[in-house]
Amino acid sequence: MNAEVIIIGGGIQGCASAYYLAQAGVKVIVLEKDWVSRHASGVNAGGVRSLGRHIAEVPLSIASIEMWQNLSEELSADTGFRRKKLINIAADESDMQTLRARERQMHALGYYHEQILDDKELRQHLPNVAEHCVGGVLSHTDGYAIPYHTTSAYRRAAQALGAVFIEGEAVENIRKVGQDWHIQSQTSDYQARHLVNCAGAWADKIAVMIGDNVPMSYSAPMLMITTRMPHFATPVVGAVSRPLSFKQFENGTVLIGGGAKGFADREHNRTRLDYQKLAVGAQNVAEFFPIMKRASINRMWSGLEAYMPDNLPVIGFSPSSENALHAFGFSAHGFQMGPIVGKIISQLIINRKTSFDLTPFKADRFERKVL
Amino acid sequence: MTESLQETAQISCDILIIGAGPAGMMAAITACENGADVIVLHDKPSPGGQIYRNVDNSPLPDANILGEDYTQGGELVARFNACSARVFSSASVWHVGDNGEALFSYQGTTQRVSALEIIVANGAMERPFPIEGWHLPNVMSAGAAQVMLKSDGIVSDDAVFIGTGPLLYLIVAQYLRLGVKVKALIDTTEKANYLKATQQLPKAFAQLGMMTKGLGLLNEIRASGTPCYRFVKDIQISAAEHAKPEQASQVTFQCANETVTLQADQFFLHQGVIPNLNITRSLGLAHHWNAQQLCWQPTLDNWGASSVPYISVAGDCSAIVGAIGAQNMGKIVALNLLYRLDRLKLEKRDELATRAMQDMQQLNRFRAFIDSLYRPRDIHRMPEKSSVVVCRCEEQNLAQLEQAFGEQASGPNELKLMTRCGMGPCQGRMCGTTVSELLAKWRNTGVANVGYYHLRSPMRLLNLEELAKLETVAPRSAQ
Repeated sequence: MNAEVIIIGGGIQGCASAYYLAQAGVKVIVLEKDWVSRHASGVNAGGVRSLGRHIAEVPLSIASIEMWQNLSEELSADTGFRRKKLINIAADESDMQTLRARERQMHALGYYHEQILDDKELRQHLPNVAEHCVGGVLSHTDGYAIPYHTTSAYRRAAQALGAVFIEGEAVENIRKVGQDWHIQSQTSDYQARHLVNCAGAWADKIAVMIGDNVPMSYSAPMLMITTRMPHFATPVVGAVSRPLSFKQFENGTVLIGGGAKGFADREHNRTRLDYQKLAVGAQNVAEFFPIMKRASINRMWSGLEAYMPDNLPVIGFSPSSENALHAFGFSAHGFQMGPIVGKIISQLIINRKTSFDLTPFKADRFERKVL
Repeated sequence: MTESLQETAQISCDILIIGAGPAGMMAAITACENGADVIVLHDKPSPGGQIYRNVDNSPLPDANILGEDYTQGGELVARFNACSARVFSSASVWHVGDNGEALFSYQGTTQRVSALEIIVANGAMERPFPIEGWHLPNVMSAGAAQVMLKSDGIVSDDAVFIGTGPLLYLIVAQYLRLGVKVKALIDTTEKANYLKATQQLPKAFAQLGMMTKGLGLLNEIRASGTPCYRFVKDIQISAAEHAKPEQASQVTFQCANETVTLQADQFFLHQGVIPNLNITRSLGLAHHWNAQQLCWQPTLDNWGASSVPYISVAGDCSAIVGAIGAQNMGKIVALNLLYRLDRLKLEKRDELATRAMQDMQQLNRFRAFIDSLYRPRDIHRMPEKSSVVVCRCEEQNLAQLEQAFGEQASGPNELKLMTRCGMGPCQGRMCGTTVSELLAKWRNTGVANVGYYHLRSPMRLLNLEELAKLETVAPRSAQ
C-alpha cells in the first residue's frame, strides 16, 4: 500500500497527526500494532493540564489548551473535555516559596496563566482540603477529558477525511530506498515519502530502524478509580511537591494518579501493579483530603508509557534521515499536548517548518551526553 | 479454626487455597493428610461454599428440607474443620499475583500471604439473564434466594421464578417443602432441548440418579399444584406505570402461543451457572470458550494446572463440574501439587488419583446431558431488544453498545473504554459473557476471536484507608 505519509502508532499523537494531515488533503496511513488507543493514550488519567509545565513545553502547552476548548466541535464527537480548572496544592510555606519563584520566572517570560492562591482562596475552590494546606496555584483553562474518547474521536475524524487505519499491524522492518520509506509488517509492505514515529513505549525500536539512537525508557504509571462519591471537588487537583493527583468526574467517580510506577513487561504488552506504591498513593490522597478515607476503590490499572531522561518528549525531524519525524517520549504528560503535536507534525510535513521552537525536543540532544 | 492476627505478620505456606467450597475443602484435606503446610482463605464466616453454606449451622429448624445433597456436605465440612490447614474465614481476597502472592482484607486491614503453589477455587456465579426488566428492584437471582434461605432462613411469599436449570427447580422445591407459596414457575427450557439431550442419554446413563434429579424436582413442583408455564419465551418484566420508586410488579411472556401476564412483588431469575472469572482472568491465565457450556473457562491440563506456573484451578471456577465433581477435582489438583512439592512420588499420585479421575469422566458425560437440556436460549443470552440493559452497574443498554460498536469499538476492551460497560463495581461479571457473545454475533465470528475484558485487581471494592494500611517498605536512602 502506498501513501504520502505513514504514521507508526495509533495513540493520540499518531491519530491527531493523521487528522491534521488528512485535513490538509494529505494521504496518510496509520499502522497500529494492537488497536487504536490500546496503551497510554487510552488508559491515562485524562488530565488536560497547562499548569506547572516545564518552561520548554509552555508555548506548546498553551497553544494546545486553546485547541482543547473547542476540540469536540472540531472533531464532531465528544472528547469528554470539561474545563474545570486545575489546582496544585501547597502543603507548607516552602511550597509557597517554590510557587512564588516560579511566578517570577513565568512573568519574566510573559506567561500569566498561572494564578497563586492563598489559604482562603484555596478553600473557596476546594472546601474539603486538609487543614494543613496553605495555598496553591490555579489555571482556569485546564480540566480533564476521556482519553479513549479523545483518541478515537481524532481517529474517526481522520478516517472521515480519508486517512486509513490498519490495526493489528506491527512494523517489522523499515528501509529507505531512494526517496521513499519501505515499511514491512508480517503480511504487507507499505511505501511512503514521509514516516512519522508515534510508537509510544515502542518508539525507541522504531527510531533505531530509522537510524536514530534515543535513550528512551518505558514504564507503567499506575492509576486507581473509586466508585461514585458525593460531589466534593470540581477542579483537577495536584500538589506542588508531593506525588498527588486526582480528579472527580461528573459521574462522581474519583480518579487517583500521582505518577507511581508499576512494572512494565513490554514484550508481552503487560504491566503489573506495585501495591505498596499504590498504598502510598492512597495515604497521600487521604492526607490531603480526609473525605477520601471512605472511598471505595473500584479498579486499579497501569499503561505502558515512554520516558526520556529529562522527562521532555522528542518532537521533530529525525537528525539522521530525511523525511522522518518523531513524536514520542512524552513521559506521562503528553495527552494534553496531543492536539498541538498533531498540528506541528502536519506543519513540518507540509511546510517543512513550524513557528514553535523544537530545540529542547531534538532526538539527538543526548548524543554527546553521558547519562 | 480462625487465625488470629499476631500470627499473620509475614505469612507463607506450601499451598494457598482460595475458596472453601467443595473443591477448596477437599484440596485442603488431601494436602494436609500428606503433610503439606496449607492456608485457606475464604470470604464467608464458615466454610462450605455456596452449595454447603451454613451446613453445620443452619438457621432452619429442619435442614433436611434443603435436600440430601446439602446435608451430605456436613461430613465434608467436618473433615475440613478437623484438618491442619490454617483457615482465614471472612477473608476477602482482592489480589492474586502470578508471583505466588495474595492480598486480602482481614479484620479491617490488608494482609499479604505468599505460597509455593496456589489453588484458585472461588466457584461459580449465576449466568447473567439480560432480559427486559432484569435490572429492576424486586428482581433477584434464584441464587440470592438460596443465600437468604441458607444463611438467614428468609423466604419470599408469592414469588415468581423464571428460567431454566436444576438449581432453579431446587429452590422452588425447597420453598414448597417449607410451605411457602410460589406464585408460578416460568420455565424457559426449549422443547427442542429435550430431544437433543436424549441423544446424550447412553453416555450419561451411568449417572441415572443424578440425571433424573432435575426432572424429579420439576415433577415435585407440578404435583404441588404450583402453576408451571413451560417452553416460555419473550419475557418482559416491568414496573407499574408511574410507580415511585420504579420497581418490578409484573411479568409478561409467551406460552403456547398465548400472552400471559402475572403480577408479583418478587421475581427470581436463573439460567444456570458459569465459572466466576474474576481471579483467573486478572491473574492473566489463558482461557478458552466452552461452546457446550457457553462460557469462558481457564485452560487447564488434566491436573488442573493453568498456563501460569504455580497456579492451579479447581471446582466450578474451572468449568461447571458440580459439587461432586469439584471435590474430585480438589483432590486431583492437591495430589498433583503434593507431587510437585516432593511429598508424593509420581506413581503414588497417579494411584491415589485413579478413582477421582474415573469419576470425573463419568460426571462429564452426565454434564453433557445437563448442558444440552438446560442450554439457555440465545435470546436470553444475546438480547435483541435495544432497551435491554446489558451492563447493570453503568446502565448501558443494547442500543448504546450497538452505537459504540458502530463507532469502531469492536472488542470488549474498546467497548468498555467507549461506553463504561463493565467498568462498574461488579468488574464486568454481570456483562462480560454477554458482551463477548454479542460482539461475536455482530462481527459474525467465534466468541474465541472476540476475547474478554482485561481484568485487574482489586477483584472487589477496596476501602481506600484499608489499602493505605498495606505495610510498606521504605526505600533505602542513596549513599
